[in-house]
Amino acid sequence: MEFLSTQLTGFLEALVYLASDPVTYAYISVSVFLGIVFGALPGLTATLAVTILTGFFSNKFPLEQSMIALIGAYVGAIYGGSYPAILLNIPGTAASAATAMDGHPLAKSGRGGEALGLTTTASFIGTLIGTVFLLAFVGLLLLVSKNIASPEKAMLALFGVLLSGTLMSPDLPLKGWISGLIGLAMAMVGMDPILSEDRYTFDWSYLLSGFQVVPVLMGAFAIPQILDGMRSNLSKQKPLPVGRIIPRMGALFSRMGLIARSGVIGTGVGALPGVGEDVAGWVSYGVGKSISKDGDQFGKGSLNGLVCAEAANNAAIGGALIPLLVLGIPGSPPAAALLGALKVNNVIPGPTIDPSFVLHVVAILVLASFTMVLMGLFTARIFILVLQIPQTVFLPIVLILTTIGSFSVGGGINDLYLMLGVGLVVTVMNTMQYPVAPLVIGVILGGLFDETFRRSLFLADGDLSVFVSRPGAAILLTLNVLLILSQTPLTSFIRQKIRLT
Amino acid sequence: MSDKLVLRARDFWASLVLIALSLFFLFKTTDIPFFVSDNESVRGGDWYNSAALVPYGLFGALLLLSFALLFISIRDGGAKYALASKGLNVNRFEALRLISLSSMLFFYIFALVPRVDFTIASALLFCALIYGFHRSTPIRSIIAALFVAAAGAYALLVHFPRKEWGKPHDDDYVTLLFWAVSCVCLLITAIRERKKIKSTLILIILSMSVPLLLVCSMAFGFRQNVPNRGGLFFSYIEYFYYVNLVPLWRA
Repeated sequence: MEFLSTQLTGFLEALVYLASDPVTYAYISVSVFLGIVFGALPGLTATLAVTILTGFFSNKFPLEQSMIALIGAYVGAIYGGSYPAILLNIPGTAASAATAMDGHPLAKSGRGGEALGLTTTASFIGTLIGTVFLLAFVGLLLLVSKNIASPEKAMLALFGVLLSGTLMSPDLPLKGWISGLIGLAMAMVGMDPILSEDRYTFDWSYLLSGFQVVPVLMGAFAIPQILDGMRSNLSKQKPLPVGRIIPRMGALFSRMGLIARSGVIGTGVGALPGVGEDVAGWVSYGVGKSISKDGDQFGKGSLNGLVCAEAANNAAIGGALIPLLVLGIPGSPPAAALLGALKVNNVIPGPTIDPSFVLHVVAILVLASFTMVLMGLFTARIFILVLQIPQTVFLPIVLILTTIGSFSVGGGINDLYLMLGVGLVVTVMNTMQYPVAPLVIGVILGGLFDETFRRSLFLADGDLSVFVSRPGAAILLTLNVLLILSQTPLTSFIRQKIRLT
Repeated sequence: MSDKLVLRARDFWASLVLIALSLFFLFKTTDIPFFVSDNESVRGGDWYNSAALVPYGLFGALLLLSFALLFISIRDGGAKYALASKGLNVNRFEALRLISLSSMLFFYIFALVPRVDFTIASALLFCALIYGFHRSTPIRSIIAALFVAAAGAYALLVHFPRKEWGKPHDDDYVTLLFWAVSCVCLLITAIRERKKIKSTLILIILSMSVPLLLVCSMAFGFRQNVPNRGGLFFSYIEYFYYVNLVPLWRA
């Protein structure tokens, strides 16, 4: 109880501190607005919004201001994806794919405004639910995480890559693992963190410091989107008309239970390492469809279906930040971009993180969600206008933004070469249905995995039983093994046999 | 041919590439001391502390997974189609657009950004991309790629050495010329297709103003590093900013 009151007091202090600074309002309004625009434009993602802003803010700005800009854009973009999902039947971001299932049929029947209003409030409440969990769990986990040593960290990093590879792969899970392994292998380039041996540098001094996170993120998320978007040459679509956007209180209050349940599901899924807001939206939608009384109406224009998806994808933001702040393992691709920004600012997330920084992040999330709901309810028509900009016009601007953002982070022109190289490789991988998220998570967690795995063995004098003698490490190792076994042909054969009998 | 079969045919080639890469990097890993490290004449370390331990594991696992992928692609019939040279199912026009786009990106990043003023290089790319890819034909995509490639090739060939990158050169004017040509092409297309000339003019203005605004805000607002400070426009802007504007508000 004392712990909770300390957390609450710290959070309120951080909130008052941020709210009393006029600069906060300027940053949060601009970043949430930009985030919603990024989310609303099909082809641009929340990850891209956070990555591009990382290039602009990098390490020349106070950390707090950078965090306001990045978290504001993150919250805005996840919500912004619902606009094209509802009005054009094109999810603005992957997170809004489930929203389109009911949002567009509602818009087609002339209830687009009602759908947007309810989406906005559900997203707002969802974000707040995720934030409450973040506030409660990060503090608790930070206390527990003091016992998390190198073996657990190594196994957790591996679990993050494997889980993300398994869940994010549109084709074979094997491809997700290959993508994750490529990411981990990319992280091996440069001086090794323990003995400073150089690895795979091919006598190029730029590679001594390894692959920089920001150009890799820009290459992985921006270049393929630009190439695909320019090639697809989509014709301009006119959004469906909307009426009143501000939701009726009755409609909202009658769905509070549903929103709360979706928020909890979204936070839980978001907290899984490497699993993003899109999975959160689909899981919540699936649960809603199977247990709601009107489950058969889902997909035909059900407001309940819409609320299930939207509350969950925004709640996943808070969830994704839990493993990021406690263990330095991102819960979703945009959180991976946020981790890149933290690294650029020399902040090492994990058990040693400053607890007051965590409270500031929570306060920023709350401010961002309030800004989002106000913008969503009162300036929605601006975002609807944005939907009419053709991809072929805004993508060149994104390319220029990406180029200058990647150049500015530190490595100069070499970072641009890296960005283009990664971008072309990921484009080829996309055409073969390899997921990109495990690759990025691999690049980010590779260094941590290498260092903690070897340190564990070093401290145990090479005794491999260090990974089974510690309960935490043993559980995580078992999870890793089970995850791999669950995808083998033998397991599917056994599962099929059991189903038949 | 089903989509799955096409995918498996692509997997066949991908697995072969992955096997080759894994073997190459496993071989390269042998350069890293494994059982004993000898760093700056200080001998020490064991296999479990070696910098090669994790890479061996990773590339070994990648090799195994690549063989598994190869097995799946052969089992599902992908190899048969891949070897029959019809398995990749590549659309010729799609491939042409992708090659045009990739070559534009290549010349923009490798040739123009390091050598030419960022605003001019980006303006050319912006106009060329819209001309070549906004409701366009494959011929227009190729012409647009040629604009960027020609300007990029000139900058690359005439001012190849790194020491020349930051200096002001004629490549800025050449790129500006190609930008003007691409603008004229955009206008002619708009007139021919009876589109609104006003929106095309707005795009042309945007092509210059967006990169200019970005580079200025990045350099003077966000205080970040920007490409080619000695470029035609940026050198004037920077001079004006530090010599005329900064003293004004410092006073």
